[in-house]
Amino acid sequence: MNAARDLPRLGAVVAIGVLAFLPMARLPAFYDSFLYLVFFWVSLSTSWALLSGFAGYFSLGHAAFFGTGLYTTAVLTTKFGWPFLPTLPVAAAVPALLALGVGAIVFRLRRLRGELFALLTLSITFVIATIILNTPIDGGGGIFMSAVPLPAIAATPNGTIYLLGFALCVVTLAIAWWVARSRLGMGLFAIHDDEDVAEAKGVPTLRYKLIAFALSAAIAGAVGGVHAMYVGFVTVSGTFELTVPLYVVLMSVLGGARSWFGPAIGAAVITSLLYAFISGGEAMVGRAIVGVILISAILWLPDGAVPAAKKWLAKRRGAAAPPHRAQVAPVVTATKPIGDAILLKVRGVTKRFGGLQALGGVDLDVREGEILGLVGPNGSGKTTLINVISGFYPLTSGSVTVAGVEIGRLPAHEIAHRGVARTYQIPRPFTNMTVLENVVLAATFGSPARTAAEIRDEALHWIGFTGLSGKEDVLPAGLNLHERKFLELARALAAKPKLLLLDEVLSGLNPAEVDNAIRLVRAIRAQGATIVFVEHLMRAVVELSDRVAVLNEGKLFALGAPRDVMSDPRVVSIYLGKAYAA
Amino acid sequence: MVDRVGAWRRRHVLAGMMGATAALAAPSIGRAAPSGKPVRVGGTLSLTGFLAQTAVVHKIASEIMVEEINGRNGFLGRPVEYVLLDDQSKPEVARSLYEKLITVDKVDLIQGPYATAPILAAMGVAQRYGKVMIQSSMGIPKLQTYDRAFPATPFGPEPNVTYPNVILDALATFPTPPKSMVVLTSKFPSAQFMALGMKEQAEKRGVKVPLYLEYESGNRDFGAIAARVKEANADFLWVGSLGLESNLLLEALRKLDYVPKGSFHLYPAPGPLAVSPDGDKVLCSTFMEPAEPFISRPGVARIAQEYKDKATKANLPYTTLDAQACGMVAEWQILEAGVNGAGSLEDEKIAAWLKKNKVDTIYGSTRFDGPFNHGDAAQLIKQVQNKEWKVVWPTQFAAPGVKLMAS
Repeated sequence: MNAARDLPRLGAVVAIGVLAFLPMARLPAFYDSFLYLVFFWVSLSTSWALLSGFAGYFSLGHAAFFGTGLYTTAVLTTKFGWPFLPTLPVAAAVPALLALGVGAIVFRLRRLRGELFALLTLSITFVIATIILNTPIDGGGGIFMSAVPLPAIAATPNGTIYLLGFALCVVTLAIAWWVARSRLGMGLFAIHDDEDVAEAKGVPTLRYKLIAFALSAAIAGAVGGVHAMYVGFVTVSGTFELTVPLYVVLMSVLGGARSWFGPAIGAAVITSLLYAFISGGEAMVGRAIVGVILISAILWLPDGAVPAAKKWLAKRRGAAAPPHRAQVAPVVTATKPIGDAILLKVRGVTKRFGGLQALGGVDLDVREGEILGLVGPNGSGKTTLINVISGFYPLTSGSVTVAGVEIGRLPAHEIAHRGVARTYQIPRPFTNMTVLENVVLAATFGSPARTAAEIRDEALHWIGFTGLSGKEDVLPAGLNLHERKFLELARALAAKPKLLLLDEVLSGLNPAEVDNAIRLVRAIRAQGATIVFVEHLMRAVVELSDRVAVLNEGKLFALGAPRDVMSDPRVVSIYLGKAYAA
Repeated sequence: MVDRVGAWRRRHVLAGMMGATAALAAPSIGRAAPSGKPVRVGGTLSLTGFLAQTAVVHKIASEIMVEEINGRNGFLGRPVEYVLLDDQSKPEVARSLYEKLITVDKVDLIQGPYATAPILAAMGVAQRYGKVMIQSSMGIPKLQTYDRAFPATPFGPEPNVTYPNVILDALATFPTPPKSMVVLTSKFPSAQFMALGMKEQAEKRGVKVPLYLEYESGNRDFGAIAARVKEANADFLWVGSLGLESNLLLEALRKLDYVPKGSFHLYPAPGPLAVSPDGDKVLCSTFMEPAEPFISRPGVARIAQEYKDKATKANLPYTTLDAQACGMVAEWQILEAGVNGAGSLEDEKIAAWLKKNKVDTIYGSTRFDGPFNHGDAAQLIKQVQNKEWKVVWPTQFAAPGVKLMAS
């Protein structure tokens, strides 16, 4: 097993060693050039994937950052007389700052996701190109760089360019590898699947997106800096062309954009294919063949070559490797007494959507260890209140405190860090993560820092606790509704919340599943959690709640012991239609 | 010493001119068919990508010329094989492919690619390996800094100075010479380079330039630009256009009910502009057209006919031998003259021979001993007359009965 695990590492070390010393082999210069172009595309496509593949922010603006770096080097060397090498950090920094500036605005706007983000980044390319074209940076004439001396890193200029491209490629892959395995990568993958949920689970989404965007742009810029020397004559039309983003997208998709190594494979394959049909007699046919190969590959391997290979390997190993199994410590079911301290204090909370007032000055206290049932007719503001408390919606006015700390103006991830966890009425698992990865993410971001092993044990515990043992390596698509609801619970519990907000966790379940769920909620409370749960199923409300709050038209309508509230004629008239407890 | 050198030069010039003339006029008479190991000449063209439409013209011209050369005596009695690769319209690919041609395929000689950026990328490679590189489409001569790079198209070393004056000379013959001129140009490097020269030279000669405007290369919407041109209402319009930009601009001007009093277009798509309803009497740059007096040059009629046949077969929209095709024809003529004149395939000897001798190409007698290896400028003016291009200036290059017409 260890040998099998070490083999790729050994292969990587050998490959790096061989490639690093290749210029000394004095191969024909073409091979240096060809491999440089492979490294060039590997670095560009991998850097694109850091944001677009990992976080799902599909960018068509990679040429803007690549081009900014390229022109930074071109201008500093030719117009300011800088030596070439010192321009590279600047070529990385300028596009990184540009990305931070753009991201700081764009990432705050929820509507600028998906195709709008793609179009916006594309338009940034046009803006940058227009600025460069219409200012002395270029002015339209291009920049000729033949007079810029290349440092003698290798024996030949080609060897030097090769080594620079190779070094950037290794650094880029190392960064991608580190990101994919880090907390940052986990957060980015969660953002890719469901950004709002990621934020609610404690992922600082804005910061992570900015880091990914800046890293992506910095690498593209540094690659551009080296490429300026390779091309020798830089023009706006040749730099900011659409083929750059199209190629990086194609390469990343072919190899697997969510994999740190996928874009590299895609880049190597596509660059090689483009060189496989270069003869003048077959140019057009060759391009058509390349197109057919790529279309076929994408059709057959929709997630990319690397994930497909991983799946295939996992299948082969199948029986040999035991699946993850949750170990569940015995659950103490003895009910803890409700404390006197107020855990959640809601005061004068209002929430308006334009002219629509969803919450109109709600006051509510929830004591430590209490289960509060939140009921009301459709549109009464129950889910909105959950969304406001969890930070999904910003408050219009009022205040929300948890354990005496004001959280009403905090972003959702900081609210999560203060011990508030929630589930969703319609389960929203991270679809590309297994059950275990879903719960590990919640445990990682929702509770204080722990070791990876501790987090994993914690996640396995809650998976077992919610009855999902044996499903650890299953993707959410492989779960039924009942199991998905429980996955929601497991994720919420893994964050070790002080306050758990359950939004219609029982809806859609059959009676046996409801009984099971009620037992589970009781067990959760036995762990010491305070629970606010929105529910329409009155049996569950009466059985579980210590108190029931009724919302109507965005206001607190009634509050008290379940049977008292349910038999209140006013509640009956607006909500139940008959006295439930009668 | 000076006399001896002069005599040597004269002998070589005469020998080169005679040899080239004989070669062009009689492709196979009195010569044995080339035999032996082929001389491999490598080059790239942008057969795919955004430059592909023009590169196919170069490819056809190359095929014709390789057949022509092999129909004579090849290179030093050996057949010529053209190793053509597709640089995909990308300078970085052009660079790597020239490295492949030289270091892997080990071709004997190279030919230049098409367009400034690939040419400069290839020129760096040629320089590293000391290869002679002949190119025909780099419109900014000062960028050709490599000692063994030779231009096939006679721009002259300073076309931004010389050619505007050719145009101004022509305009000066109008009954009412223009006193003002709008200079409008694409931001394509070679077009912009010429536009700046046009502005400077016009102002030097007292022609006012009330509007100098640059637009992005590939622009398709000329509405706003046309409005400014109309507003400036100058006596003449000079456009540094590429491809269909001229058609689009003139159409936009017509929509504003404005017809320029006269216009010049630098590198337009020749066919569409000639047949355009807006194209009548517009002026354009050229180096030759397949008509008198050029058609009487040795071999030109045959090459023009072959080109027409092959271009028709390839479904090209414009089948007349144009400046692009002529550039490639001239590249091969210069290489042939250089190899056979030097009697060697060694780049050093070919380069030395070319610098000391004139070569008769489809453009006429061409020399390479000036700055940036350029010789005399030979840029001409052609005009659309009855939907056909006619060379009109300088007058000695106009066909009998053809005159420059004022708009």
